Amino acid sequence: MALSRALLARLKEIVGPVYVLTRPEDVVVYEQDAFLVAHALPDIVVLPGSAAEVAGVVRAAHEANVPLVVRGAGTGLNGGSIPIAGGVMLVLTRMNRILEIDPRNRLAVVEPGVVNADLTAAAARHGLFYAPDPGSQSVSTIGGNVGNNAGGPHCLSYGVTGNHVLAMEIALASGGMTWVGGRSVDPPGYDLCGVMVGSEGTLAVVTAVVVRLLRKAEAARTLLAAFETIDDASQTVSEIIAAGIVPTAMEMMDGVVMAAVEAAIHAGYPADAGAVLLIEVEGLPDSLPRQMERIETICRAHTPRMLRTAASEQERLLLWKGRKEGAGALGRLAPSYYLHDGVVPRTRLPEVMRKVVEIGKAHHLRIGNLFHAGDGNLHPIILFNPREPGIMDKVVRAGEEILHACVEAGGTITGEHGVGIEKREYMRWMFSDADLLAMQRVKRAFDPSGVMNPGKLLPLGTRPDVTIKPVMTAGMWT
Amino acid sequence: MNRDKLIRELRAVVGDEYVLVEKEDVIVYEQDGSIMQAMPEIVVLPGSAEEVAAVVRAAKQANVPIVPRGSGTGLAGGAVPAEGGVVISLARMNRILELDLRNRLAVVEPGVINQDVTKAVAADGFFYAPDPSSQAACSIGGNIANNSGGPHTLAYGVTTNHVLGVEVVLDDGRVVWLGGQVPDCAGYDLCGAFVGSEGTVGIVTKAVLHLMRSRESVRTLLAIFDRMDAATQTVVDITAAGIVPAALEMMDRLTIEAVETGAPVGYPRDADAVLLVELEGVREFTERGAREVHEICMHHGARQVRVAQDDAERLRLWKGRKGAFGALGTLAPNYYVQDGVVPRSRLPEIMRQIATISARYHLRIANVFHAGDGNLHPNILFDMRTPGELDKVIAAGEDILRACVAVGGSITGEHGIGLEKKAYIGLLFSDADLNAMAKVRKAFDPDGRFNPAKMFPTPITCAEMRRAPAKIPAGLWI
Repeated sequence: MALSRALLARLKEIVGPVYVLTRPEDVVVYEQDAFLVAHALPDIVVLPGSAAEVAGVVRAAHEANVPLVVRGAGTGLNGGSIPIAGGVMLVLTRMNRILEIDPRNRLAVVEPGVVNADLTAAAARHGLFYAPDPGSQSVSTIGGNVGNNAGGPHCLSYGVTGNHVLAMEIALASGGMTWVGGRSVDPPGYDLCGVMVGSEGTLAVVTAVVVRLLRKAEAARTLLAAFETIDDASQTVSEIIAAGIVPTAMEMMDGVVMAAVEAAIHAGYPADAGAVLLIEVEGLPDSLPRQMERIETICRAHTPRMLRTAASEQERLLLWKGRKEGAGALGRLAPSYYLHDGVVPRTRLPEVMRKVVEIGKAHHLRIGNLFHAGDGNLHPIILFNPREPGIMDKVVRAGEEILHACVEAGGTITGEHGVGIEKREYMRWMFSDADLLAMQRVKRAFDPSGVMNPGKLLPLGTRPDVTIKPVMTAGMWT
Repeated sequence: MNRDKLIRELRAVVGDEYVLVEKEDVIVYEQDGSIMQAMPEIVVLPGSAEEVAAVVRAAKQANVPIVPRGSGTGLAGGAVPAEGGVVISLARMNRILELDLRNRLAVVEPGVINQDVTKAVAADGFFYAPDPSSQAACSIGGNIANNSGGPHTLAYGVTTNHVLGVEVVLDDGRVVWLGGQVPDCAGYDLCGAFVGSEGTVGIVTKAVLHLMRSRESVRTLLAIFDRMDAATQTVVDITAAGIVPAALEMMDRLTIEAVETGAPVGYPRDADAVLLVELEGVREFTERGAREVHEICMHHGARQVRVAQDDAERLRLWKGRKGAFGALGTLAPNYYVQDGVVPRSRLPEIMRQIATISARYHLRIANVFHAGDGNLHPNILFDMRTPGELDKVIAAGEDILRACVAVGGSITGEHGIGLEKKAYIGLLFSDADLNAMAKVRKAFDPDGRFNPAKMFPTPITCAEMRRAPAKIPAGLWI
């Protein structure tokens, strides 16, 4: 896309010439996020330093009728920050200040570029923490988390990003800034703050966020339960939830992933077991032993090979290390992988997990599983070698079949990674034309000229217009 | 419009007996729980989503206002047909369609009474959390429109936190699903935007509700204070100590006087404030929490702290709180219940301000409210027969709301905006903020036919609406 000199000059004036990148060797860094099967070059990359600058850039793009794509740390898994139509990319990483921490009212005000883990580190001084903990939390930004309504292992009891954002300041496509939500919970009027969370940059650009902070639990206990089969582990999850127990986290790792993790991290998992569950409960020290006992009783009914409660904080962290860094270890199994994200009602977990295994077999693909079992949030990881001819088609088809199985079981096409370009056509499996039209109405209300992150979230009726380029890469997160 | 033609069409849709047009029939629908009135021209009682859709299409074609109504217990005039037109009463659509306890959800029609949901699942150990004081009469559809809260909102959140999806009839008669049966559906969170939209976006015809597991143990304490300041400080300290009670309610001296005159429960008449604290959860939490709350109360010089020893005593402690509104009738012929929110840390200060406002206007104000949420309910006592008194009451109410906003709070905690507060919404939102909301309104209801003259700051059209009735309705709830 040829961009006018006038736009370029205007952008330089708004943010300063050093923060406007146009040379191919500079902008190439921004052609991709963690959706590893697609990429596209932005024409201009802009790094604003303040809300006012963001508003200026948004207005300029709108007036020039040029696509505008927002990007945080680029850890998104759905291709949401890939500029498939070119245009201006707005990178918010310079806006990384924590503006306020108010411990008495348990909230923090942050700029969108603040890294998730940095916020929790700052809140820890007051005995508080920020609950949503995506696997990428040491790099991903609050703005990106908000855009994708990110989740994480502890969302089982604490909820996802949408449950922890009280308000935000946004820059609108039509120019101008506005606040949505409020510092007190559930302000009157339409819940536009809720609409913005998970809107993937298609409506407006967030410039400041008010988030809720939670009090740290007094004590935590972590149990590792190993099972002979995925089926036994899935049944256990289903029964724990049915018994009315809500652990803070209940994660599953299957034998495929475990073998890789154990070789890399030595967290003490039984490498030849069919599946392990990592179950954590939090609360008052007095109440934990009894809760753990109930969980162990349910586990025992499914012939576990081993039940081990972490005896020390060190052992607890090591068990978690295996989970949190698990995805990084997958490189030992195959040169590349495609990480999926689907949700099923927890009662259907055993059945859908069997289906995932079948789909893998049918396509002669190895699939590993490392996921938030307590939420019914699956992360099947399709392992493959990109040099094998025709492999990409098979991988994409297998992924599609898995998501279809999730939807058929009453679930959804994404638990926490979002829709982006990756899943926009699958939206039709969940929503009728009328439902999608309702979303279109909101999109048009906020972005009448369609410049905000075009080609994302809502189906176009065609395959994404992107180069499919499988790559090998280390850091992926779940 | 051709009224007769519309009536004919509506009769064809829902049947003759469910279209009311005679004055003596429609007058029942001129008012809700607020002090405003206006007559509908036609009242329709559809029996299914298809009928609602057909009614909406017919009304749109005739270009008349459409006002949805549940049980009419709303306190902000949301169901008052301010511009006449068609009132759609959803009272006939009162079936619980599905109970799925393993996935903890219920699918209900909008006319289902709040309490009936809990009744249907209580035997299995579940409950529906939002518990507005009107729960024996108000409907789920009305709760959704107003994003209702209740005493136990402190721990469990308001209606929006318990609605997973809604089926909605839009302005063109299209039936769409917003959200779904799993939380945090892909796409824009339009279910969240719909909850609290007060009938201005569409009409809900089905709702998927989240059910919670009944708590293992409940403990209730009643603390009596000689000074309001000590009571509010106690609330602040309970929160700061990291204890989240299921409910934390306060009553002031005037309310105590009313309770002891109307329905005595044995509160000392010379006390300045009573706190009712309820803890729910595992036994270990409620026991320790009760102990800690007891200590904090004593630390602030509570005259007495009673801990309920059994269920019968627990209900006795609640009796004063639940009967407080009815008892206010012993103090004055009329009262106007306000609804504001402040950050909890500002509670002591705002209560002092309310006392000042009361003195300034020579109006008695009784306070009975959800202190733990910082959600105030000042009841301004007055006599409608005194000329000019209502003006004073409205002015005092406005001063209170201004004071709430000035300390960082909001103009409504759970009653909504409706007609009552649309003039004040500007205190909370800038023009740009309201404009963002108007975009959504316009996207869904371009002709402004859905519940016109509500929520947005339009001038009040009928002068008599503001101070209509010669009497205040009997049953008011908060």
